[in-house]
Amino acid sequence: MKIEPAKKQRIIRNVILSLFIFLEPVALMYTSFLISGQRPWEKKAQKEVNTKSLTTKTDSNNGGND
Amino acid sequence: MEATIDFIKKVIDNLNGFGFPFLVFFLGVLEFSFGLYKNKWPKNERWVDIACFTLPRLILQPAIAYYTLHFLPYVFSDYKNIFTWVPFWWGFAIIAVADDLTQYWYHRLHHEIPWLWRFHRTHHSASYMGMAMASRQNAIYTLFFSQIYLTAALVYLGLGIPAIAVRLVKSTITTLAHSSIPWDKPFYQYKVLHPIAWVLERFISTPATHHAHHAATTDDGVGYYKGNFGNMFFLWDIIFGTALISRQYPKAYGISHYEGDQWYAQLLWPIFKSKVEGSELSAAGPTVRLDPEGEAVLANLNKAALQSKAKGPALEPSYHNH
Repeated sequence: MKIEPAKKQRIIRNVILSLFIFLEPVALMYTSFLISGQRPWEKKAQKEVNTKSLTTKTDSNNGGND
Repeated sequence: MEATIDFIKKVIDNLNGFGFPFLVFFLGVLEFSFGLYKNKWPKNERWVDIACFTLPRLILQPAIAYYTLHFLPYVFSDYKNIFTWVPFWWGFAIIAVADDLTQYWYHRLHHEIPWLWRFHRTHHSASYMGMAMASRQNAIYTLFFSQIYLTAALVYLGLGIPAIAVRLVKSTITTLAHSSIPWDKPFYQYKVLHPIAWVLERFISTPATHHAHHAATTDDGVGYYKGNFGNMFFLWDIIFGTALISRQYPKAYGISHYEGDQWYAQLLWPIFKSKVEGSELSAAGPTVRLDPEGEAVLANLNKAALQSKAKGPALEPSYHNH
């Protein structure tokens, strides 16, 4: 039994619309960052730099005692 | 502050682990106490429900464990926790849409593409609604539940906490939508609550809209197994025109031509076949067994198509399958 052509067309149309819906929350989030000037990904990068080990990785513990 | 966040994380984690089974058990006890199954739980159906509740977990847990512990780290080795900076509510919105819209499509395609129907048929063969049948699925349908893998990938990428929060909300909504306790009824009964009902029934799945999807009949103004595919959000059905809102509950549930296929066939078709002659799950069974009125409509449309063949394009057949 094959899928009806009309149904197939409707599925294709709806799937295309869905792709936009999938992207919508991500687009809205970046728009809100653009408006508010927030850059949370930079905060994360900064935090990673700040918490980086000060011990060189040349010792026998490989920095494990930090 | 960090201690508070840690505490909330632990609460969410525990709720995620124990909350869902507890909710199912609690509602199940309530349903039985109120006699909502009305002796509609025969031995064969009991075995199907119990087997579907327990056995797929044995397949699914190792599959997800392999996917999250081996597959994702192998494919996205440099991207673990890359999105931990995403604020909670944005993460919640991203996962809620990604997870539930994916499930909407997974569900809808199993109804609209004929060869997929038999993988989802087990969920519709129950002639009752409630906690007993809420987890009733073919194991292969469960194994390929596409949104599980999508959400697991988002967790790997750093959206773990919002993912758990979405799971809690979604489990609650979908469980209550399958329940035989019509929690939405007061919203339709009292005029003062109608505006809330209007928003609620368009936004999330309710017993009325989801029960209509499980009805034994369709296009009678109440039952509508040709639509109402939404799980957490009903909004998808509204957007794509697959919704029917009647604020009523069907008189009968299940599949009109169902004759009690064996539990092993319902759990593991096509590995095991049904012994019920003419069943969609039997070895020589049809891909989709049409309802009598569907057959009549199809026959008429074919006749009309033959007659108008010389004049123009044939009419599209519209058959009734669940």
